Amino acid sequence: MAGAELSQYLGVFLDETEEQLRLMDENLILLEQHPDDLELLHHVFRAAHTVKGAAASLGLERITRLTHALEGVLDELRHGRLSVGRPVIDVLLRCLDALRELKEEVASGKPATVDLAGLVEELNALRETPAEAATPAVTPAGALELNEVERHLVEAAQVKGLRVWHLRITLDEGCLMKAARAYLVYKNLEDLGEIIKTVPPVEDLEAERFGLTFSLVLITREDADVVASVAKATSEIAAVEVEPVTGETATTGEAKTAAPGKAAAVEKEAGRATGETRATGNTRAGQTVRVDVQRLDNLLNLVGELVIDRTRLAEVEANLRGKMSGQTDLETLEEISVHIGRITGELQEEIMKARMFPIEQVFNRFPRMVRDLAQKAGKEVDFLIEGRETELDRTVIEEIGDPLIHLLRNAIDHGIEPPEERERLGKPRRGTVALKAYHQENQIIITVSDDGQGMDAQLIRQQAVARGLISAEQAARMSERESLNLVFLPGFSTAENVTDVSGRGVGMDIVRSHLEKINGTIEIATAPGRGTTFTIKLPLTLAINRSLLVKAAGLILAFPLGNVVEIIEVARDQIQYVHRQEVALVRGEVLPLFSLADTLGLAGRQEEERERLPVVVAAVSERRVGFIVDTLIGEQEIVIKALGGYVGNIPGLAGATIMGDGSVALILDVRGLLAQVNGGGQGLKSA
Amino acid sequence: MNAQEAKAVQERQLVVFQLGGETYGVDINWVHEIIRMQAITRLPRTPHFIEGVINLRGRIIPVIDLRKRFGLPLGEETQNSRIMVVELAGVTVGMIVDAVSEVLRLPAESIEPPPPVMQGIDTAYLQGVGKWEERLVILLDLERVLYRGEQEQLRETVAAETAAGT
Repeated sequence: MAGAELSQYLGVFLDETEEQLRLMDENLILLEQHPDDLELLHHVFRAAHTVKGAAASLGLERITRLTHALEGVLDELRHGRLSVGRPVIDVLLRCLDALRELKEEVASGKPATVDLAGLVEELNALRETPAEAATPAVTPAGALELNEVERHLVEAAQVKGLRVWHLRITLDEGCLMKAARAYLVYKNLEDLGEIIKTVPPVEDLEAERFGLTFSLVLITREDADVVASVAKATSEIAAVEVEPVTGETATTGEAKTAAPGKAAAVEKEAGRATGETRATGNTRAGQTVRVDVQRLDNLLNLVGELVIDRTRLAEVEANLRGKMSGQTDLETLEEISVHIGRITGELQEEIMKARMFPIEQVFNRFPRMVRDLAQKAGKEVDFLIEGRETELDRTVIEEIGDPLIHLLRNAIDHGIEPPEERERLGKPRRGTVALKAYHQENQIIITVSDDGQGMDAQLIRQQAVARGLISAEQAARMSERESLNLVFLPGFSTAENVTDVSGRGVGMDIVRSHLEKINGTIEIATAPGRGTTFTIKLPLTLAINRSLLVKAAGLILAFPLGNVVEIIEVARDQIQYVHRQEVALVRGEVLPLFSLADTLGLAGRQEEERERLPVVVAAVSERRVGFIVDTLIGEQEIVIKALGGYVGNIPGLAGATIMGDGSVALILDVRGLLAQVNGGGQGLKSA
Repeated sequence: MNAQEAKAVQERQLVVFQLGGETYGVDINWVHEIIRMQAITRLPRTPHFIEGVINLRGRIIPVIDLRKRFGLPLGEETQNSRIMVVELAGVTVGMIVDAVSEVLRLPAESIEPPPPVMQGIDTAYLQGVGKWEERLVILLDLERVLYRGEQEQLRETVAAETAAGT
């Protein structure tokens, strides 16, 4: 086989394996908390199976061996011959780590240091540990028999991306017209899709030849919640249980049929577990295509061009209208122009959406991490995640992971107290760390909160003084909020003992600079003894930005709106000098002023004597500076484009954008600008 | 250009253009397209020969003024002025020239190494001189045109910043 082809397969394998490993990680952690949830186990099993198959087809022997042993253990769990517990999960998680390392080895050639034989042995040893006989934590799977035709239907449905649900419906004990109820349920569910089987058979249902419980298998597009609620819509229903039917379930059923004396497994199982189905959200099947992100970027670029041409077309059309009104051709042109305009708008929107990913991509790896960190730190932590489905642009997703890891580490390490201390303080022994994401207007909000000890502004000030970050006088003048923000200074850390996970003196400053890179902000809210919440605000996308357009030195320049505090006018005679620095007093505060053109090093500043100067007050974090511009143009959405490798990074510029008329405007990097006016030896800090 | 290369390539296809009264040629493989002059947006803090950036069908590309680059006297923009868009190692740059005349096929043996001294232009930018009928075509070494001297520094800062950014 051609090398290129092989490497292409390898790329797909690596991507897919990463995804499957993450899935296993995630579901194993959930399984630890819900040992009875067979669906989770199925997910893990299926993922392991996928990895095994793919690895085997590429001849990756060690991965195949390990996944094979892993599958063995999972199978034991599935059949209840082994019970889910911390030791088992621990071994399984270690296997995942090993698999990841082996996968890395394939990707980078860096030899993995995995004790394969040891792990396989451990796995095999697990299989020999029987489940605690009396109470098998996991009840046998399946409990549903499908004949060949039905299995075929199930498989065909799954290929099409449909879901297959096994519903067990229990009627009220006092139910008088059981057959009628069953019929109604049947009828309603049939509206959702296709019912391929009932137990007992339909004739028996109609003849009321069944107890209180009957079950059926439904192929549908709907998810478990919808199906359950439809089934419950009929009155006199006591309980509805919904379970997914998978290829494995079907096979298990087959195995069962083969085993003698297990015929009525369905009946025996009644009354087990709760009727709750948890929608894990991972069941979303098929119907997707992998696309290189580069291709999406290109698409967005092309659409950007279309947008510009659309504007130009409209302009031409308007010009023509003046010259030759009344012509039918012109009317047609007008029609086409409007239509193209609308389609372009929709296209743009769709492509923006295609670039959006649910944040669960990032969130999904955290439960495992939190578990491990908590274990290491000797803390007991419940980890809550909300808003996994919140969508962000991929560029933002790429950058948000590291800051969140840092914040979660801090929450576990410094936020949550050790269990004993929590008990002494009258708090629940287990601490809670919550990670939430949601939309708010044009922003994404992500919060990381804990119910730990909170942050002590006084202590932070002392620490900052001790580290020489601020002077004692400065500390004395600081507000609570300012004090908290000191943790974002480079070189600040309150950890008295340096632990493995954090407290190395680096941390929050990196968090903030990461976030600023993607135009995000972070705020702290804390209550001593009750916990801390970090609130991150992010733009929906980095590719499109709301900007304030201004003119300076004959150029159109764009301030990202996130950095603009306000726009003011300063009269020339209001300008004063402090240390030869132009400043203005704005509502009692000293605002340093700079000419935008001079700061950028652009020649051609108009020295006309204007009485009132437009000033854009820009800020990064706590620093505010006023930039004098020639004129203000207005607010606009702009598409950010890089200046390209040849000119490289120009201090103070973030890129360029193309205006409606095809001309180029430059986008300002306010951080860079501020660094420049700072580097110019201006005594800003004293101001 | 070294001897091996000269042998390997029997014939070279050049895009020929005018600059300050001289005839220059660039290997056609580097030339992406040739466009009319358009409004150029100045860029701050860049070497003097970088005129600014233009919008090339949705892409932002930098434009350099070859006269400034070669230290030739500045000329007027005319009807014939063009921006020659070249692409070198993934970097796209526009170059302002006085006029683009034709595409020329030159046998490899008619190309000679640049003379040590030439009037007007620094020979470091040259790959050789081609003779065609009675004319001399000066072959540009695009890599040097783009990256020599000041550009070297520029490239270093870019590299340093890219490294710091990762």
